[in-house]
Amino acid sequence: MPQYTAPLRDINFVLKEVLNSDKHFASLATREEVSEDLMDAIISEGAKFAENVLSPLNQVGDQQGCTWSESGVKTPEGFKEAYQQFAEGGWPSMTASPQFGGQGLPNSLGLVVTEMVSSACWSWGMYTGLSQSAARLLEVYASDELQETYLEKMTSGVWGGTMCLTESHCGSDLGLLRTKADMNADGSYNVTGTKIFISGGEHDMMENIIHLVLARVEGAPSGTKGISLFVVPKFLPDENGEVGERNGVHCGSIEHKMGIKASATCVMNFDSAKGFLVGEENRGLNAMFHMMNSARLGTALQGLSAGEASFQGALEYARDRLQMRSLSGPKNPDGPADPLIVHADVRRMLLTQKAFAEGSRAFIYWVAQLVDTFYFSGDEEARRDAEELSELLTPIAKAFVTETGLESANYGMQVYGGHGFISEWGMEQIVRDLRISTLYEGTTGIQALDLLGRKVMGSGGKQLMIFTKIIHQFCKDQKEKPGMAPFVEKLAVLNAEWGDITGKLGEKAMSNADEVGAASVDYLMYSGYVSLAYMWARMVSVALDGDADDAFLKAKIQTAQFYYQRLLPRTESHKLAMLNGAESVMAMPEASFAF
Amino acid sequence: MPEYKVPLRDMQFVLHEVFKAENLWQTMPAMEDVNRELADAILEEGAKINESLVAPLSQPGHEEGVKWTDGVVTTPKGYPEAFRQLAEGGWGGLSGAPEYGGQTMPKMLVLLFEEMLYSSNIAMGLYLTLTSGAALAIDSHATDELKTKYLPNMYSGKWAGAMCLTESHAGTDLGMIRTKAEPLADGSYSITGTKIFITGGDQDLTENIIHLVLAKLPDAPAGSKGISLFLVPKMKVNEDGSVGENNGVHCGSIEHKMGINASATCVMNFDGAQGYLVGEINRGLQGMFTMMNYERLSVGIQGLSAAEAAYQWSSIYARERIQSRAPSGPVNSAGAADPIVVHPDVRRMLLTQKAYVEAGRAFAVYVGKQLDESKFGSGDVKGKAEGMVELLTPIAKAFLTDKGLEGTVAGQQVFGGHGYVREWGMEQLVRDVRISQIYEGTNGIQALDLMGRKIAANGGQNLNVLIAEMREFAASASSVSGMDEFLGPLRDAVDNLESLAEFVLAQAQAGDANAIGSASVEFLHVMGFTLYTYMWAMMTRTVLSGESQLGDAFGQAKIHTARFFIQRLLPQAKGLSESIRNGSASLMDIPEEAFA
Repeated sequence: MPQYTAPLRDINFVLKEVLNSDKHFASLATREEVSEDLMDAIISEGAKFAENVLSPLNQVGDQQGCTWSESGVKTPEGFKEAYQQFAEGGWPSMTASPQFGGQGLPNSLGLVVTEMVSSACWSWGMYTGLSQSAARLLEVYASDELQETYLEKMTSGVWGGTMCLTESHCGSDLGLLRTKADMNADGSYNVTGTKIFISGGEHDMMENIIHLVLARVEGAPSGTKGISLFVVPKFLPDENGEVGERNGVHCGSIEHKMGIKASATCVMNFDSAKGFLVGEENRGLNAMFHMMNSARLGTALQGLSAGEASFQGALEYARDRLQMRSLSGPKNPDGPADPLIVHADVRRMLLTQKAFAEGSRAFIYWVAQLVDTFYFSGDEEARRDAEELSELLTPIAKAFVTETGLESANYGMQVYGGHGFISEWGMEQIVRDLRISTLYEGTTGIQALDLLGRKVMGSGGKQLMIFTKIIHQFCKDQKEKPGMAPFVEKLAVLNAEWGDITGKLGEKAMSNADEVGAASVDYLMYSGYVSLAYMWARMVSVALDGDADDAFLKAKIQTAQFYYQRLLPRTESHKLAMLNGAESVMAMPEASFAF
Repeated sequence: MPEYKVPLRDMQFVLHEVFKAENLWQTMPAMEDVNRELADAILEEGAKINESLVAPLSQPGHEEGVKWTDGVVTTPKGYPEAFRQLAEGGWGGLSGAPEYGGQTMPKMLVLLFEEMLYSSNIAMGLYLTLTSGAALAIDSHATDELKTKYLPNMYSGKWAGAMCLTESHAGTDLGMIRTKAEPLADGSYSITGTKIFITGGDQDLTENIIHLVLAKLPDAPAGSKGISLFLVPKMKVNEDGSVGENNGVHCGSIEHKMGINASATCVMNFDGAQGYLVGEINRGLQGMFTMMNYERLSVGIQGLSAAEAAYQWSSIYARERIQSRAPSGPVNSAGAADPIVVHPDVRRMLLTQKAYVEAGRAFAVYVGKQLDESKFGSGDVKGKAEGMVELLTPIAKAFLTDKGLEGTVAGQQVFGGHGYVREWGMEQLVRDVRISQIYEGTNGIQALDLMGRKIAANGGQNLNVLIAEMREFAASASSVSGMDEFLGPLRDAVDNLESLAEFVLAQAQAGDANAIGSASVEFLHVMGFTLYTYMWAMMTRTVLSGESQLGDAFGQAKIHTARFFIQRLLPQAKGLSESIRNGSASLMDIPEEAFA
């Protein structure tokens, strides 16, 4: 099993040099100040925790998995203790509002810690990640009374949280959900129904679990317009705000899955459980969507963090494993063979991993800054732009980074040859754990529909134009800079082409409603490649300003060259495929799918 | 977990209508008894036993796995009985030599049986097909005495076979193996060493296991030129053919793996085990290579098989699962939502699977045809086929398995969250197929074999034969009405392939030692896409020329799927080609220490 080492140099390079975190933090009116010392301390302490406490739990967690019994769900050995340490260290409250005991730090800084936690042990990180997402939602949407009752405990991490959306007959289509909420005389509700695929629905790491449940109030309109959101605690708080009476919420079973075995995926039965309305009746999805954007960015992080962990494992093996001679002559003449890394195809796999991981890191960190700006900036115009742009980029980040992360994790396994298939080496676990990321929080297909249908077409192209203008300006500003031409010339061409493709698809969509869905995934992947091309060009520009002998900076430029020359050509394939239209996708009758 | 149904109709389409197998068999004396009726009977009986016996054991076998206790391997419940029934049905001897009890069926037919076997249960299938593979190597290289002693019991499935190549420090690089073979006075050898990753190295299905072991004689030259091949039975075989005492062959442990949990992957210890030379001293790898073309095609078929199962189950699920409305208006107004097959992106995933699977099946049979012609044909036909086998085998292995993973992942994706949950069976397909990209030479090794040994080493001679064949087909099929939309892309793809090969070879000749290695995997994929275009053109020609008797709807579906392949999948070759044309520098310039 590879030992995870936080890629601190790259993290710092992206945050400080590419994304100018000092200026960014200073622009956030309603967040606490972040000095460079504080930032460094957080990152280095977070790295230690991830490397020393969490990384050793990853394989054990996969082997033991969670166990269900009538009395609850038991997490693997060491999970609970690690969480106690985490909570005592104050990590859960990093980005929470100071009003409820949070530290009020920017999300883009919290995300760095989440990346490290995720690379080290994704399953473990889900418990705290989802809990903090639930708390953030309550900070925005819940009544004062609910906030006072729940947020302090959730912020400190003593209590956890979940999101309960899916039912067995409705996943992507939430309008079909059946869980019911009947109002009681005291203004609370009785919630009854069964939810499935609830991550962390039951476990032994925290003393209480606060479920956020979508349900229908009697008489609500059908479809998505009749869904309300409720807080349903596992234990009802007593008058002192401590854990009180057990509520009618029970875990019926847990799923046996391909991966993330240490994360409990629960069937949750709500049996007249007492619940409290969050926000207005029938407006539940609006609040949920709020949370979903941060959860989607968090899932994008899974693609990055698994890709990073897999890259680290593969690189170590490629340097150690001796097999065959280099085609350009022995590189290790004293040994029986050369290390794998001399072979061009092994390099191709490693560089693909490196290019996706580093490009995705820069991309996700940038989107996280946009989200910060939207929430916390004092500048209204900047807020609006950041909102539009982060809405556009979130589905790209979620789907593109997880899809390419899966490609990367498979390469990492492939570098190991037969050992990659063997559990003890840990590389296959990374693939199994990561595989869920293109499915949950809205599948890749759903993200792609959201991007092309709702965000691009839905805004009449406006959201896209905000981004293509930024890229256009960047190319203009950078084209004379020595060393930048090969990058910005290609980027400018793709940027213009992106707009053209969008226009053509828009025209087609006017006469055929299926064009959007038929083009969407190719469109999303195309968008992802261009977005990363932009991030890589930005990184090159910074690297060119630095010490020409710095090996790290040189590697940045070389990895960018690899990305532009060997991965970016994929845009051409996606373009041709989507412009070939919907007909070949839709023409075949349903009955002809099988004979 | 859904039931697997053998796609008999498509198999018959490919075998009889596209490749007109019966006409071909009539030209081969060794195949004179094989006709369409017999072939169909074999396919139908194969379908029965696989659907009813082998497939139902797949999921329980995955959950139960193989057990190892004190050197004894136990396969999951039901496996020994099922293996015995397969053996008694003669399914282990389909391609065996008749003088030792085999049935000498053509590969293009036998591989369709392998397809059903693997679609039903890869883990179970491996025990049978590895036995056939070992028997093939013995038949090709061993003495008559060894053949007489071992082959009949292997063809009958009474004994199984295993291939023992890899050692912990030597996988791809077999030249480094250390297992020793010391000559004994009676002409046999004493074999000592440890092999890893031995599929079916031990099991409880058969009373004996015949290992083919690569080892080095004490004075052998270093590297791959000093490797010999030995037959080492687990249990000694007495003069009368009965099984005697253990031969110093023991299973030290089994691996815990991502998938094929019901297949025993063994560490095998040979402790002065008695072995018998197969073929000549120091020519062991050659013996292995004969069999390897068959084995590599067989592994390729695992990719096809898993993708077929994934396609079947996801296309059923897509028609049953109700979720959201069609973009163009409800099609199931009475229901709460529409079946997900109405959504364009779900169709895209289904058609992607279908297009790869059906082209893959045609391609596998096409390669099987070359194997048959190279073995049973004569004259120019045989000569050309030998070149084609060499050229196409690495593509069959790597492209079919890469597309196999892609297909199973797409099938899993159609299921949404349920695809990740074990009871639905989709995640097992992904896990079981993943190894096929790795074993029998990783797909990176296949690509190097293709580009380096099969193309560059002979100046592109075999490639040119294939290119000429595809161009000839395009010319001859152009008279069939409606073929233009498929032949135009075929001609373009062939032109691109030709110029791309020229580009890479020119780089290599100009002294770039990494030109081949840095282009190889993407080149293999470009060639795979080109061949699939050729397969789709052949299939549509069969339909459009009225040569198919399988019905209008079946034929129409072929045309629709071909169109989808050409318009939505073939464009991938463009990006891959552009990447290759950007050269090797961006892979090689970065110093090793700068990777992290």
